[in-house]
Parts: sequence; structure tokens; C-alpha cells
Amino acid sequence: MRLIIREDPPSVGDYIANYICKRINEFAPTAEKPFVLGLPTGSSPIPTYKALIQLVKAGKLTFKHVVTFNMDEYVGLPRDHPESYHTFMFREFFSHIDIPPSQVNILDGNAEDLVAECNAYEKRIKDSGGIELFLGGIGEDGHIAFNEPGSSLASRTRIKTLAYDTILANARFFNNDISAVPRMALTVGVATVLDSKEVVVVVTGLRKALALSKAIEEGVNHLWTLSALQMHPWALIVVDEDATSELHVKTVKYFKSIEMVQDEVERTQAELKKRGKIAEEQIGSME
Amino acid sequence: MIGLNTGTSSHHASKTNNLVMTSPNGLVCFTNCLLPQEDGSLVNKDLWMDERRGVILNAQKTFFLRKERPDRIIDLGGNILSPGFLDIQLNGAYGFDFSVYNGDDEEYRAGMKMMAERIIETGVTSLVPTIITQERSLYPKILSLLRPFSTPTSATLLGWHAEGPFIEHEKRGAHAPSFLLAAAEGMKSFADVYGAANLAEAEDWLMNTEGENVGVRIITAAPEIDGVLGAVDELTRKGVVFSIGHSVASSEIATAAVSRGARLITHLFNAMPLLHHRDPSIIGLLGASPHLSSPFTAGKVPSYSLKTMTGNLSRSGSNSSKVLNPSKSTAKSEAFDDTMTPPQSPFYSDGSPLAGTATPSSSISKKASRSGLHLDKGEVADLAFERPFYGIIVDGIHCHPNSVRLAYSSFPDGCILITDAMKILDPHLKDGVHDWRDGKRFVKEGDKLYLEGTNTLAGSVVTLDKCVRNFSRFTGYSLGEAIKCATYNPAKCLGIENIKGTLRPGAHADFVVLDKQGIVLSTWVKGKEVWSG
Repeated sequence: MRLIIREDPPSVGDYIANYICKRINEFAPTAEKPFVLGLPTGSSPIPTYKALIQLVKAGKLTFKHVVTFNMDEYVGLPRDHPESYHTFMFREFFSHIDIPPSQVNILDGNAEDLVAECNAYEKRIKDSGGIELFLGGIGEDGHIAFNEPGSSLASRTRIKTLAYDTILANARFFNNDISAVPRMALTVGVATVLDSKEVVVVVTGLRKALALSKAIEEGVNHLWTLSALQMHPWALIVVDEDATSELHVKTVKYFKSIEMVQDEVERTQAELKKRGKIAEEQIGSME
Repeated sequence: MIGLNTGTSSHHASKTNNLVMTSPNGLVCFTNCLLPQEDGSLVNKDLWMDERRGVILNAQKTFFLRKERPDRIIDLGGNILSPGFLDIQLNGAYGFDFSVYNGDDEEYRAGMKMMAERIIETGVTSLVPTIITQERSLYPKILSLLRPFSTPTSATLLGWHAEGPFIEHEKRGAHAPSFLLAAAEGMKSFADVYGAANLAEAEDWLMNTEGENVGVRIITAAPEIDGVLGAVDELTRKGVVFSIGHSVASSEIATAAVSRGARLITHLFNAMPLLHHRDPSIIGLLGASPHLSSPFTAGKVPSYSLKTMTGNLSRSGSNSSKVLNPSKSTAKSEAFDDTMTPPQSPFYSDGSPLAGTATPSSSISKKASRSGLHLDKGEVADLAFERPFYGIIVDGIHCHPNSVRLAYSSFPDGCILITDAMKILDPHLKDGVHDWRDGKRFVKEGDKLYLEGTNTLAGSVVTLDKCVRNFSRFTGYSLGEAIKCATYNPAKCLGIENIKGTLRPGAHADFVVLDKQGIVLSTWVKGKEVWSG
């Protein structure tokens, strides 16, 4: 696992956007072989979306051959409700980039048969060739997607009841009316996320500091579902200074020191690849 | 200028409309633009439209349900994409006068078409042709010609605005005194003059309009004229907008008219009594007090009103010596030159409602929130009726800038910018001396127009886009709030805000693109650019 520390949320957004841009362009997606990207909602990824939009507008990146899968959606909230994740994704991202609507996948929280909807979603991910890169965020309780504390680390896309913490946290989006916050959501599972080739998680702000510490400084634990990332061969967590507040100084220093080494290794590898010295694709963090 | 950004075609849209670029899938996205919102703010946001159907789209639904996104993207360079302006009081322009019918239907229709196609250069995409008082036999004909009308490259004529003949002699302005009428038989008098077919129920009236699903009728009348107040309910029920104007109505009568359905005031401050603090009359409606608003109940003319009406009528009769020469008065702005009326004496004697009952009518069941004294700072107790919208001519001549700000400050949501322009309106007309009619000539000096050799104002020649800029300068409020007064407010007054005057999904894609100084850069009608500067 790599941990990248940047000054503030905008710098985190720029870093991730440039990283994703590089990954997509190196992948050189086509209509036959699109780049499959997993996407989150929430406030943490907004700077990343803003930076990605700028890259598209500057002509450095296109989503013409990118297929997206979103992590989750509320159950029973109309699709055009201002707080639905359909609305969020359209407002914050899809309306500003060039992705064809047919390549966008978001769980349907209004499906008659919710279980069938979840199973079909898993199948759609598989049929698309699997997710190349899953971008994620976390909750204050360390949940990734709506995989609340206590979720099985082997879970798949399913119906999930929201934790009381999450309902309280989301009430601000519903006029502070707790009764208006949906109680259920459809969400990809922890295993669905771990299945993807690469996972990139954005963690910013003081309020996420404890969750970050629990996820990377302690053992794999279903009460802090992000910790499952420790089992993933190619995971990248990008955080701001505030989010490191609960980490040991030692931890912070360690990750800061390896960033430079990492950059150098990557440069060398890219050079070798260009000269044809590396044949097979490399997967995994090179730390 | 409009920057174009698309991978598929590169023609620049032109006035000739021959080379207009189209989007392969018919969908267009305006980006990098400020959109005026219904609260008067401007927000940086994209707008999607279907240029083939000529309507504004719900972008999110188009994306997720129709699974399409626009093939053509238009970068507006940070300029303002406003709903097209809506002028609810326009007497004519470019030499065509809606009030003049020479016995030839085709000639009149050609005039309508010419005028509708040229006015778009002022950012106006919808207007209500206005007829000043005519000889009564002309009404059924002219009004029947004024059905909703538009061509693919023109503004939409929404119907008609009949200003008169049921107006107050004292406040007639340029309206010919010999044509003024009372409505002794109430609704029947209105039907007799305007033609029963022209006053049909809204659905019936709109039934034979070709392809149009929007049309409006406005009647400006003085509620103190015999029989007028009693017809307000029925006119309102038929979908006609009743506007109070050219009137000396007391506060009581004006309030009664509003509680019966009147929802507009014609050219505020002009052709009505000055604001008197003891009887603020029509202007006072902008400050309608919750303390006094409820005694009136719809459906029956209160007896005190009849009494006051009689008083007014006899008073206006005694002023008949002030009648102006009609041929001279036609040369005047019908909104500006009034007989001066002294402020009226208040009528609160013998137990009339103004004497102070504050009991809210039991029939009021609106928000059901605040009556009488309440504890919510910043809120106002319930009124028994909505305050009326008011048209206002912001040319710097018909109303002093202070008056504009005063009116707007007291009731911003009711403000509607109108030009009340005469047929000589033409932004290309140079300053100087021009021939008019009957050997007379007029002098044009900016937005001022007067008869040669006199200082008699000859009418308004201001364009609506200029009114928008003036408004923003005069009041100091933002351009977004000025735009609201020329788009959303008039549309709301007419009840057509789902189709005209807003950027709501499903509304007609009629736009005016303005720079941040309010200068018109281009005008769009039903999804097509029809004019660019």
C-alpha cells in the first residue's frame, strides 16, 4: 500500500486526477477495450472531479472509451432528487466531461427487485472485464462505499442498512431532518472493491483522521472496512495533512520518505518499458 | 461573440439563417455561461436544449433516461444566457401600429409579421400587442386578428392587451376622450365592445391557434368606472388578466379590484393619482397592509365601493373642461401626459372598512401561518390577496430613477419592465427631425421624442434591453434582478412561466445572450439563433 500526503484537499484532488489521467492514457482505451473506472460520491472526491474536468477541457484526457461503475445509491430516493447519487454524479462530473451516457452505470435504488438489481450489477462489472481502477472515499467510521462497520470483508453488491452515524452525517443534506434520510442503500461490497485491479482512496480532513489510522496502522478489521485494503496488491491512499493527525509520526515520516524512492523506481520502470525491456504488464505497488 | 466548439461542423450561425449549424443528434449544450435564476441570481451552469423541438431540456433526465448528451457544445465565453425578454405592453414598432387597422386583414397581418421579426434585435422574444382606446366598432376585428402568432424567426405575439376604452376620463392620457366608455351592464358591456368570441374561456379562445399552446389577454381598465369592478371576477375566471390603469381608484376600490382578481397595474405612476399618504390609491397597493387587506370578500360589490365610485364619476365629470384636443393628444405619450389630479380625500367615513377592522376573512386558507401579530422576524403577516404585479417604464423619462427604486424596493417580485413604445420605436432611427403624419414632424433626442417646436413628449421609444440596463443602473440592483423583471416576473403574471420567460425544462428555447453590461449579443427563438449583433 502507498500513502501519499499532500498539503490540502485541492492538492489531493490534483494528484489523484493526474494519476487517473496517466493511467487512462497509458491504458489507451478503445471502444472494444474500454477503461473501466469505479467512482464514489461524497465531498472528498469533489476536488478530484474538478481537476479531472479541467484535464478533459484542456484536451489532455477523454472519457469516450471509459466505462464507469458507481459505488452506491440510496434506496427509494427518486433518481432526480437533489441528494440522489445520480444527481450528484451528473452535477459534479458527468455533465462536464465527454462520457457517453450509455457507458455510465449506477445502481438503481428504485428497482422493483433490489436483490436482482445487485446481482445484475455484479454481472455487469464482470462482463465489462472487471474494474481497472476503483476510486473511493471513506466515512468517518472508516466505511468504504456503504460498507458500514461490521460488514463482511467478503461482501458483494447488496442491500445495506445505513449505520446511525451515517444517517446523522447525511441529515445535513436533508434539511437536518433525520427522518428524511433514506435508511437503506445499494452498495458494492468490500470484495467487489478488492476485485478491482487497483484501488485509489481519497481521505481528507481532520474528521477522517481516526479512520485513516485505524485502517492503516492496525490490523485488517471488519469494523473499519477500509482496512481490507491492506490485503490489496495495488492500493493507493491519498490524504491531506489534516487527515494524518492521528497517525504516528513514524508512519508519516516513513510514507513521506518512500514517495521519492517510489517516483524514481517508476521512472526507471517506464524507461525500461519504453526500450522494450519489460514485456508483461506489472501489477502491484512497487514499494 | 459566441465561440463555437464542436467536432462536427464549423459554420457560424448567421442572420440569414441559411448556414445555421445543427447538432447531429439535435441536442445542444450551452456552456461557460451565466444562467439567470428565478430568484434573480446568476449562476454559472450549463443549459441543454433540443434545437429541433425548440425546447429546454432536463439535462439529467436526458443523460440517464434518454441516454444522450448534446453533440454540439456552444461556449458562451462567460456571457449571460437569459430567457428571451417579454414585453407585455408594446403599441407598435418599426412603423407598424397595432391600433391602426385600415380594413385590410392581410396588410395588418403583414405588419404583425414584420414587427415580430424585427423586434428580436432588442432581445424581445415574446410580447403582448397593445391597443389603445379605439372607436368601439373596431375592437372585435382587431382583437380577432391578434391571435397568438409567430414565425420560425420571429418573436411570439402572445395575444392582445386592450388598454381602454373603460378608463377614467381624467387619466386618459392620449386616449381619445370621445371613445371612452362606461360598462353599465358589467360583463355584457365588455363582451359587447371587445366581441364575445374574443372574451371566450381561455381553452376555447386558444383552441384554434395553430401549433401554439400559449396565449394571453390583458385588459387595462379603471375599476371606479361604472360596471367595471363587477366584471373583474368574470374576466379573471375566463383567463383574462385584469390590469388597473388610467384610473383614479381610491385605495378601497383598487384593493377591491385586486381581491376580485386584478393582478396587474398598468404603467405604475403614470395615468394614476400621485401617492397621497392618506389615500395612497393604486400606487399604495405595492405596500398593501395586512392590517387592511382582509375585509373584502370576492363575489359581491361592497356597497361602500358603489358609493365611492359615484363620487369619483361625478368628480371626473366636473373636470371635463380639461379635455384636450383629440388630434393633439394622439401625438402624446399616452402614459405620460395626464391631467393632473390632486391627491384624493380619503373615504373612511361612516364605518367603511378602512376605519379599522383587522379580522382576517375566514375564507383565507393560504399558507395558514401568520395572522395579526406574530413573532417571526423577517416575515410579514398574511395578506388576504397577492399584491398585483406592476408594469413600469424605465426609460428615465416616464419615471424618475428614485421612483423606480422606491417601487422595486417595496415589492420586488411584482416588478415588470415594459416599454409602452409607440410605432416609431426603431433602434436604428437616428436622432434628429423626422416626418410623422399630417405634415407634422417630431424630434428624436435619445429616448426622448417630442413634436417639433414644442416640448410635448410624443411617446416612449425605449427598447426593452435598454430598460433592463437602466433598471440596474437606477436601482443599483444586479443585472440578474433586472433580467428577472423582463422575463420571469411578466411570465408569472401571465401564468405562462412554464413555457416563456424561464429556463425551466420544457419551456421554449427562446433566449437572449447578453454580455455583463447587458448588451444584446444574440437572440434565439425556438432553439435557433435568429439574430446576432
